[in-house]
Amino acid sequence: MYVLGIESTAHTFGVGIIKDGEVLANERDIYRPKAGGIIPGEAALHHYELGPIILKRALDKAKVSLSQIDLFAFSQGPGLLPCLKVGYQMTKFLADKYDKKIIGVNHCVAHIEIARKVTGLNDPVMLYVSGGNTQVVTYENGRYVVFGETQDIGIGNLLDKTGRRLGIPFPAGPKIEELAKQGKNYIKLPYVIKGMDVSFSGIETFVSQIIGKHKMEDICFSLQETVFAMLMEASERAMAYCKKDSLIIAGGVAANTRLNKMGKIMCDERNARFEFMKKEYAGDNGAMIAFTGYLMRDYVQDDLSPRPDFRTDAVEIKYR
Amino acid sequence: MKVIARGAEAIVYENGDEIVKYREEKKYRVPEIDLPLRKGRTKREFTALSTCSRAGLKVPKPIKISSEGDKLHMEKIDGKQFDYVFSVDKMKDIGILLASINELGIVHGDLTTANILAKGEEIYFIDFGLSYFSKKDEDHATDLFLFKNALKARHPNEFKKAYRLFIEGYEKTMGKEFKGIETHLKDIERRGRYHENG
Repeated sequence: MYVLGIESTAHTFGVGIIKDGEVLANERDIYRPKAGGIIPGEAALHHYELGPIILKRALDKAKVSLSQIDLFAFSQGPGLLPCLKVGYQMTKFLADKYDKKIIGVNHCVAHIEIARKVTGLNDPVMLYVSGGNTQVVTYENGRYVVFGETQDIGIGNLLDKTGRRLGIPFPAGPKIEELAKQGKNYIKLPYVIKGMDVSFSGIETFVSQIIGKHKMEDICFSLQETVFAMLMEASERAMAYCKKDSLIIAGGVAANTRLNKMGKIMCDERNARFEFMKKEYAGDNGAMIAFTGYLMRDYVQDDLSPRPDFRTDAVEIKYR
Repeated sequence: MKVIARGAEAIVYENGDEIVKYREEKKYRVPEIDLPLRKGRTKREFTALSTCSRAGLKVPKPIKISSEGDKLHMEKIDGKQFDYVFSVDKMKDIGILLASINELGIVHGDLTTANILAKGEEIYFIDFGLSYFSKKDEDHATDLFLFKNALKARHPNEFKKAYRLFIEGYEKTMGKEFKGIETHLKDIERRGRYHENG
């Protein structure tokens, strides 16, 4: 069975093709704003323009034709409505044309499913860290439950906003990581854990006020160390409370080496397993949508319209 | 000393009639973050426990903090962790106890069913490491919010009934102040991310 999946929740437009659960192609292109943060309309335009090209690239790579696809899956949310619409319309057009079934996939669920697939961990806690999302997700009684999350902005958002103030272009994460490696002096920043949740907006304000007063390297170092430690603590709490013995980190920020190192140390200390996720599958991608669509192939869905506020725990998991 | 629990942030030992809670070093974070955090939380916990126990509320009585500042000695409560012996029958009492603690101006900051002990008919709150002093409705609402989420995550099948009983006990004890807290609770829930059904 061939499944084609389209991801278009935010910056990334991705097309993945899988055959019986094995990835054949995973192509993507990422919209990069010229200045400032994401402009939803501009990102959607990027997806409209590049969509057909990415689609063709994926089909060529997988060496299949559209008529061979048995099922079309798309990322139904959460995400930015203009971006979600692109994926939905393209999927609808293709599925109608070839008279095939459509499956709407929850973006966060797709992250954890592809993580389970590529790491082989059956029941990990997932720390999901991207621009807009910061969640600690665990599986309980047939659903993926958000155990802890940010009470305000996403971690990637915090890094990008701080990056802009430091003159670093989007996405700021890699450059912040590079600068952080040269930082030596820890500047005390607010460390905000609220039960299982974290909060970043206070840190964002605090950091904006110390820019210029300290070396950039030290600011980046202190920022990373503080917010990553908070995320580790939230993840560890979820593991302890929900009795899970493995961790994976997904999302764009999962590309950060220091964050992964902290995950490894934390897991080693509690005799848990940690598996590093390759960037290809950690960041937003079409393969995770195709793969989750494959898992959900027998679902009957009434509402296929884009859901910008689609909650992770709204999906009943019937295949696990 | 016998290890009786290993939580996310501390090892709990039993030493005769005493419980010793040791906040271990976390090697994943730099010492500049780790040490003040561990000492600070130990101190917070001591302060909250002593305020509550002086008021006659059901928490372990604190005894002392070790000279290194990362070990808290306290009275041993011979109970079971509530998440293992979960029962909706206790939810009203939990609401009453939380309201009494909030009325003293203490925010627990981390209430989950794992941070509650059941001893016979009685329930005790433990783990005050994230607690702080506040008389604000908004801060008291965060206790309700966090506990609600923890209930939903860990006990999804009993969640609805359990939460209703919990709120019943909380409201009864809090009296007319509950209205303001409830308003803030709704506000926090709205602020949270991705709420499709309000």
